[in-house]
Amino acid sequence: MLEEEKKARPYKVVNPPHVHIGLDKNELMLKTFLLMSIIAYASVMVMGLQALFHILVALGTVLVVYNSVTAYQRWKGVKPTYDSPGSPLVAGMIVGLAMPLESPYLVTVVVAFMTMFVFKYIQGKYLDHKYLNPVATSKSIVLLALYGVATLNVFEGALQGGMLFHPHHYQHNMMGGFADMMGFFESAFVDTIPFFGIEISATQAHFFWQPHGWIGSGMGIVVLVVGSIAVYWLRYKWRIVVSTLGTMTILAIVAALVWQNGDISTADMITMRIAFHVFSGSILFMAFFMATEPQSTPMPEFSQFLFGVGLAVLTFVFQLNGFLGGSIIALVIMNMTTPLLDRIVIKKPYGHRVKSVVD
Amino acid sequence: MARKKKKIDEERTHRKFKEKGGFELDLRMKREAITDPFTEVPPAEEMTVFLRQHVGPEAKPLIQEGDFVEYGEKIGGIEEDEEWGVPVHSPVNGIVKEIKMMEHPVSGDEERIVVIETEDEETKPYYDPLDPKDVTKDELLERIKEAGIVGLGGAICPTNVKLSYAKDKVSHLIINAKESDPNIACDVRLISERAEEMIDGIKLMAYIIGADNIVFATRTQEGELPEFENLLKREKNIDIVRVRPNYSIGYGRLLITEILGKEIPQDTHSYDMGALVHNVGTAYAVYKAIREGEPLVSRGITYYSKDIGGRNLWVRIGTPVKHIMDFVDAPAIDFERVALGSIMMGPAISDPSIPITKADSGVTGFTEKEPHPYEDKTWCIRCGYCNEVCPMDLYPQLIMKAEKKGDKKRLRQLNTDVCIDCGLCSFVCPARINYRPILSRAKSEM
Repeated sequence: MLEEEKKARPYKVVNPPHVHIGLDKNELMLKTFLLMSIIAYASVMVMGLQALFHILVALGTVLVVYNSVTAYQRWKGVKPTYDSPGSPLVAGMIVGLAMPLESPYLVTVVVAFMTMFVFKYIQGKYLDHKYLNPVATSKSIVLLALYGVATLNVFEGALQGGMLFHPHHYQHNMMGGFADMMGFFESAFVDTIPFFGIEISATQAHFFWQPHGWIGSGMGIVVLVVGSIAVYWLRYKWRIVVSTLGTMTILAIVAALVWQNGDISTADMITMRIAFHVFSGSILFMAFFMATEPQSTPMPEFSQFLFGVGLAVLTFVFQLNGFLGGSIIALVIMNMTTPLLDRIVIKKPYGHRVKSVVD
Repeated sequence: MARKKKKIDEERTHRKFKEKGGFELDLRMKREAITDPFTEVPPAEEMTVFLRQHVGPEAKPLIQEGDFVEYGEKIGGIEEDEEWGVPVHSPVNGIVKEIKMMEHPVSGDEERIVVIETEDEETKPYYDPLDPKDVTKDELLERIKEAGIVGLGGAICPTNVKLSYAKDKVSHLIINAKESDPNIACDVRLISERAEEMIDGIKLMAYIIGADNIVFATRTQEGELPEFENLLKREKNIDIVRVRPNYSIGYGRLLITEILGKEIPQDTHSYDMGALVHNVGTAYAVYKAIREGEPLVSRGITYYSKDIGGRNLWVRIGTPVKHIMDFVDAPAIDFERVALGSIMMGPAISDPSIPITKADSGVTGFTEKEPHPYEDKTWCIRCGYCNEVCPMDLYPQLIMKAEKKGDKKRLRQLNTDVCIDCGLCSFVCPARINYRPILSRAKSEM
């Protein structure tokens, strides 16, 4: 026997295809993280170091959970759930950017921990996929828990200081008194853009320089641009983004027309409504980076549109009732409808869209 | 300036396929082979011919061990009532060494092969040439059947069956010269080097079925194959149609939709809709069988491996893969896995002694440094890339879930049987889940 033949071994028999496009989950996560870092940078510019600390606290918490669980899994001889910190880092960044600036850091830690441990690890382990958006669900639970505490009038002072739940938002009449609410917002939070010294209105603040609300909403225009790049480049479920933001825009226009204010022109009222209902962080950032979370959203194309419309309508209803951060609860509710949406409106494939010519 | 533009166009043509959803398929393998002319590979000392090389029943051996067989002589025959049967021919002058079983690269089952010891390299046609003017269309069809011609684009259906079903039914004969596989360039070489014969083969097929219109579908740009285009200009009823550079529209039905705008219903044959698709390689084989009396005993393939690059080879059917690899100076031992045919759809072989069959348009070698991309799969993230890219508009992820649960009702609801095994859903999956075998299993479960 020849030396070559001695060394010969059977080829590895594998199923085709034999090539891959190259973009894998880790790369997808890394690119998402990089894009969100641009938003984070813009927000820190607007909101200052407090925003940075929230983001760092969230990232630090998820990394602690990730490293602890990975070490435990390795110790137990189990393949780690995540082979790189990409996905945990994205989750941490979303937590950081989805927190209100005034929220205590402890709340950020709790939300980040629940996101990572309960809704990423535990949900992923015991269910066939993640049915609920980890960040939205964690934040909703904390929010609802605090709502319970608030209604019992416990720790009221701390809550008023600014947390996930803002009882003071109930003071605003979001229907006929919307313009007054925006006026209050302007007097309380909006002034001038530092360095440039440009005075801005509440409406402009929502687009360019918003020092209040979700950290991810610091610069609405940046979220819009970066989010659009992410949708195109990383192929997020764009139908959800388009239908969510589109429906919110339509509802904002309708609201502007229904609840007019004698002192403000209709065009200004529409602009103001769009600025608030579309460019708030709880809408814009959520629509791009939370509502498109792939596991908890539908697969069929038309169902994705339905999902987005449902999300927008629910969010709008919450907003009109003064529950301004309610979009995440709306998202959790829509996540629950995903198994149903996966079953309806299945697109007809090729060959089934035309009638047979055979008798 | 014009030269620069032409160069850019050429590069664009062979750079990428752009699929549904904007996903791109790199054509580096094809690009490296596209300018390499065919080199004839001499037969191996021992040729190994499978008695079944198409979608249909196995041919019955007509020879015994020790028999002398001539180049082109029938060594596997079919019963008269076997409509889908196809005979098999000897690719060399030689002596039958043995008839034994070997793992078939496509079915994976042990199937019969004839091992022939090569005596010489002579290639004298076995049959007499036919002049279409002197014979009937049925006699031409009989010759195509007798020559063992099957679709060389990958479908490997008996050509005579396809032509006879379509006879007097179709207005359009579409010649698929799109060459959709990202690693194959042998069809473009065939068009460049054997254009006249191939055009004659196309005309013969159109004559047999009575098609008034012939469409030559290619993704090459104008001026890229000047000699061929000049020849085609003389043919008044052959239109050249430049189709989009997509991998998936190489599938016959999608190609018809692309060119004629007609969607073919799932339970309908394309000829019932007035169109028939044949591959350029098949047209060339028809020419050889009718005009020169040579059965299908050789074909063009593209060899590719990173170290060698792309090579176009003219090989005899039954040539062991190892012999081909030795010929191109890429020793079989250097590779971890070898794929036959398209790298998107073709099987991987376990043993380099497995021979080339009529179905194989390529051989691609991968070393240990190029591991199979689906080895480290993770869990599905439901990103939806698979249904965005699916050319048939299926939902591979939902099918996978239903298959896992054994939910046949759901598999039917999701029209799983429409899947064409193109492999694009696997190709784009960020979790590196190889959907293709899962979907094939789901189809067979239905």
